[in-house]
Amino acid sequence: MNCQKLEENLPLLLYGELSTWEQAACEEHLAGCASCRGAREKLERLHQVLAQRPPVEVSAPLLAEARMALDEQLEREQHGWRSLWRHGLPVLRFQPASGFALALTLVLCGFGLGWGLRPHAGRLTASVGEANNVSVGSSDLENMRISGISGVAPDPQTGGVKITMDAERQVTLKGSLDDPRIQQVLVYAVKDYDNPGIRRDTLDALRSHTDNPIIRQALLYAMRHDPNAGVRLEVLEAVCNMKSSAEVHTALLDTLEHDTNPGVRVAAVKALIDRTEKEGCDVSTAQALEHVARTDSNPYVRLECSNAMMKLGK
Amino acid sequence: MDGACLEFAGKASVQPSLMSEADEQSLIRRAQDGDRAAFDTLIRLYDQNVLRLALQVVGSPEEARDLYQEAFLKVYRSIGHFRSEAKFSTWLYRVVMNVCLDHLRRQSTRKEVPVPAPQDGEPEFFQTVPDERPTLNPERATHSKEIGRRIQVALERLNPRERMVFELKHYQGLKLRAIGSICKTSEQTVKNCLFRATQKLRMELGDLA
Repeated sequence: MNCQKLEENLPLLLYGELSTWEQAACEEHLAGCASCRGAREKLERLHQVLAQRPPVEVSAPLLAEARMALDEQLEREQHGWRSLWRHGLPVLRFQPASGFALALTLVLCGFGLGWGLRPHAGRLTASVGEANNVSVGSSDLENMRISGISGVAPDPQTGGVKITMDAERQVTLKGSLDDPRIQQVLVYAVKDYDNPGIRRDTLDALRSHTDNPIIRQALLYAMRHDPNAGVRLEVLEAVCNMKSSAEVHTALLDTLEHDTNPGVRVAAVKALIDRTEKEGCDVSTAQALEHVARTDSNPYVRLECSNAMMKLGK
Repeated sequence: MDGACLEFAGKASVQPSLMSEADEQSLIRRAQDGDRAAFDTLIRLYDQNVLRLALQVVGSPEEARDLYQEAFLKVYRSIGHFRSEAKFSTWLYRVVMNVCLDHLRRQSTRKEVPVPAPQDGEPEFFQTVPDERPTLNPERATHSKEIGRRIQVALERLNPRERMVFELKHYQGLKLRAIGSICKTSEQTVKNCLFRATQKLRMELGDLA
């Protein structure tokens, strides 16, 4: 082994990454070469300097914070369009026949829709006639959303075509939040509608009317059961501004103990502390905080509960 | 593809070794089928080391958290493509490495990113790392801080790939073979990269050594 080769191998020698015979060859060369021994000493000193780099330790709060942020992102992912591609259509990725069938269906649907909505739509709708005994005029069609076409057939009577389709008509409802019909729709939207964005918008409309018992019930239900953590968090903020009552208190305790998202649980801790500071501590709050401080799976939530208990003097 | 073992010298996460390979395979399969709980359990085996590596690379906790999130989101999105020819840890660290490399490249294309010089009264990052040695005196603390800053400057002057290889080898203690698997490159290329990084560090820090 010559000096150049040894210089190349020196870092590997110090990291223990050489084979036994390479190591032996290096040691043999070093025994007879003062210059290379000097190079090894310099490299060893460099390692000593590098060892003085302060160790980076991941603190528990940082780890908890990173996990919480990731958890929220993943939850969004799970309910986003990517999940449809990932989980809803996995079969198509592996079965070319299904893929072909889907492509063919899309082409046919596209063709059908394009044909149906071509510039002569007025003449078409006039000759389309009826679907489910409902007459459709060209102006109606503009206000409809076609969700599916279940049949396209020639109509021998008119020489035109007969299209059977499912369509939804958009209806705009305007009115006061005191109107029971408006309340009914909003309560449905905040509790059951599958679009979290709409649920959130609905929440914005409802949050200033929490005196209404129906709205209050709907919000408390959403805080406990909405599938989206972001929406639950927003509802929780709205609930914080509600007048104090046993049902609000129970719902907050329930969220603290059972919500699946640590961010929401932490927000529940804060909400309970705010209430307690205004109204005094009750036994159930102290017990719940103590229980969660001991048993919660998330260290950050446990920490927040412990801090809350210290604030309460428990 | 490889049997490279990603054991971390000294700082090894204990959890992966406690879990059998069969258990991990089962978690991977369930995560691939969309089981969130399985995915969470799987990444908890590695996430502390990933966050540590990110923190080591970027220095700032906020940026480290962003890298952590970006890496695991990528893992979540592409776990369906993972095939068991490679070890899961190798595949995972490849994703993490690419995220870190992208970050370092973005950082190096920004003109003149000065290494934060400590300002009067403003705590430097390394100051925030608690040092619990009881015998530490203020003069020595200042000296250590200065050395820490010099090391950080020297590391930031390496190119992104040299930096990652050096971090993985010197500070994370990975074997060259494992680093080669993560980088999808030969062991010889990793050796060359490590050699260049060492030379540059020797030049930068020679006066301290």
